[in-house]
Amino acid sequence: MNTPLLSVEGLSKRFGGLQALSDVTFAVNTGEIVGLIGPNGAGKSTLFSTLVGLHRPSAGKVALNGRDVTGLRPHVIAANGLTKTFQNVSLFAGSSVLDNVLIGGLVHSRVASARGFAMDCLKRVGISDIAQRSAGSLSFPERARVEVARALCTRPKVLLLDEVMAALNTAEMDEVIGLIRDLRKDGLTVVIVEHHMRAIMSVCDRIFVLNFGQLIADGPPAHIARHPEVVEAYLGREHDV
Amino acid sequence: MTMRQTFLLICFATLIPLALEPNGYYIRILTLALLFAALGQAWNIVGGLAGQMSLGHAAFFGLGAYTSTLLLIHFGISPWIGMLAGGVLGGIAAFLLSLPTMRLKGHYFALGTLAFAEVFRVIANTWSSLTGGPVGLSVPFSEPSLAMLQFNETRSYYYLMLAAFVAVSMIFVIIVQGRLGYRLRAVKEGPDAAEVIGVNTTRVKIHAAVISGSLTAMLGTLYAQLNFFFDPDTVFGALQISIRIALIVIVGGIGTLFGPLLGALLIIPLEEFANVMLADRAAGLSQLTYGALLMAIVLLQPQGLAEFAKKLAARISGKVMSSKTEART
Ligand SMILES: Nc1ncnc2c1ncn2[C@@H]1O[C@H](COP(=O)(O)OP(=O)(O)OP(=O)(O)O)[C@@H](O)[C@H]1O
Ligand SMILES: [Mg+2]
Repeated sequence: MNTPLLSVEGLSKRFGGLQALSDVTFAVNTGEIVGLIGPNGAGKSTLFSTLVGLHRPSAGKVALNGRDVTGLRPHVIAANGLTKTFQNVSLFAGSSVLDNVLIGGLVHSRVASARGFAMDCLKRVGISDIAQRSAGSLSFPERARVEVARALCTRPKVLLLDEVMAALNTAEMDEVIGLIRDLRKDGLTVVIVEHHMRAIMSVCDRIFVLNFGQLIADGPPAHIARHPEVVEAYLGREHDV
Repeated sequence: MTMRQTFLLICFATLIPLALEPNGYYIRILTLALLFAALGQAWNIVGGLAGQMSLGHAAFFGLGAYTSTLLLIHFGISPWIGMLAGGVLGGIAAFLLSLPTMRLKGHYFALGTLAFAEVFRVIANTWSSLTGGPVGLSVPFSEPSLAMLQFNETRSYYYLMLAAFVAVSMIFVIIVQGRLGYRLRAVKEGPDAAEVIGVNTTRVKIHAAVISGSLTAMLGTLYAQLNFFFDPDTVFGALQISIRIALIVIVGGIGTLFGPLLGALLIIPLEEFANVMLADRAAGLSQLTYGALLMAIVLLQPQGLAEFAKKLAARISGKVMSSKTEART
């Protein structure tokens, strides 16, 4: 009846001889928190990059709120409400934290009001105290949070988080989990790539499993934890909690 | 620098000519330095803010010089209008150059832009019926007047170039503080990340290139009016214009507001004195000395003179502060 917020159909991505994604199909509804897991090199980051338009898919279709956005430039897709954070953290190192986040806000407003909203986003993520620091001088966990704040500043409808909890301690991880839950309350839809199974299992409504570029399972956390193919392909080796 | 300090600096700059011979050698060097400071500031929009090492700005510069001069020679059109026409053509040329060079990075961008300007130089050399070929063009002198942008005294040109430098610098500041500046920094520091958070990196780069190219062309008109004579090599030459502008900004402090001024105030006089003092002693010695000095500066102060000046100012004000507190205790 209602169209899913993000729908992906038969998405494939090939790098030369490497089939990084093959025939990936799934849909995410408004307000869901979805996890995406899979072993290293499974294609999770490639899927995110393809969804936001950094890679042009070799085949398949991406639709946002029923609108086909396949092959559009990333800034157009961002303006339509889909953005991501970078696993390897890609901040504007010469700029302050506030300026990094502010730039995300320029999609919708001028500098002055974007600055105000950027401050709100920093508060949200709990790092307003480092607003004036240079992004190049931050620790990895701090940088990951700036990435989240910058993405939030574009006012996304769907936010793709690529391993933002890597290198966080347990307390920090719980903060981020709390933040993701809060964001959902505000109507945001989130897709999370994460290797920490505890975090993924506790926060997600649903989990997709990717292996060698293929979606091999899709279901609620309890179901995924028992899925034989998943246990073999992923959890068997990586179950770290 | 505060607004107040900047204002004082401009006041100081307006007073300098009173101490110099109105048609003398020194004011001419300063006038040329101000022109190159303005050119550096225009280049800074692309080279400093967008981080694209253009070595093709001579294309726009020469286009401006030829456009206004040809309009003046053939139709008697005031260089003010010629300057606007050149600015439009410079903007169009920068737009066209952006299309193929857009995706080039680093050295490839530099080489692409360098080749672009060389094409203009070759065309100006061969299309003699329009450009006068290698012989060059002379700007017809009517009578000194602001309307025709022609003056008797170098002093007047000094004020013209000062005004041009201040104007281009104001445009630079407006860009830095506005949306375009933020987006340019994002494009420079992380083009993929910029796109993903909604920055149209293509459009941002084209905007910067068009503004920079257009301003450079307008300054080309001012050069023609100052010099009264130019040929393809002096306005389209890579060494004479493109590389010189880039060098001035790199030495002065790339991406900074005062870098182009500091760089021009150092390099233009240095070139002059190296030429005058050493030229007759041994051929090539002046170039060698000049090159060695430049290398020393770049090695000692890789961040540019602007950074050096900042540190120096901080040290001086630090000393003043501490002596003040000492006096109080
Ligand atoms: N730009 C690229 N060009 C060529 N190959 C690539 C490119 N990006 C990724 N790959 C390859 O595609 C495969 C999937 O990589 P991807 O980064 O998407 O995996 P991942 O699931 O995110 O892994 P990890 O958990 O380690 O982050 C890997 O084999 C990788 O080497
Ligand atoms: Mg990854």
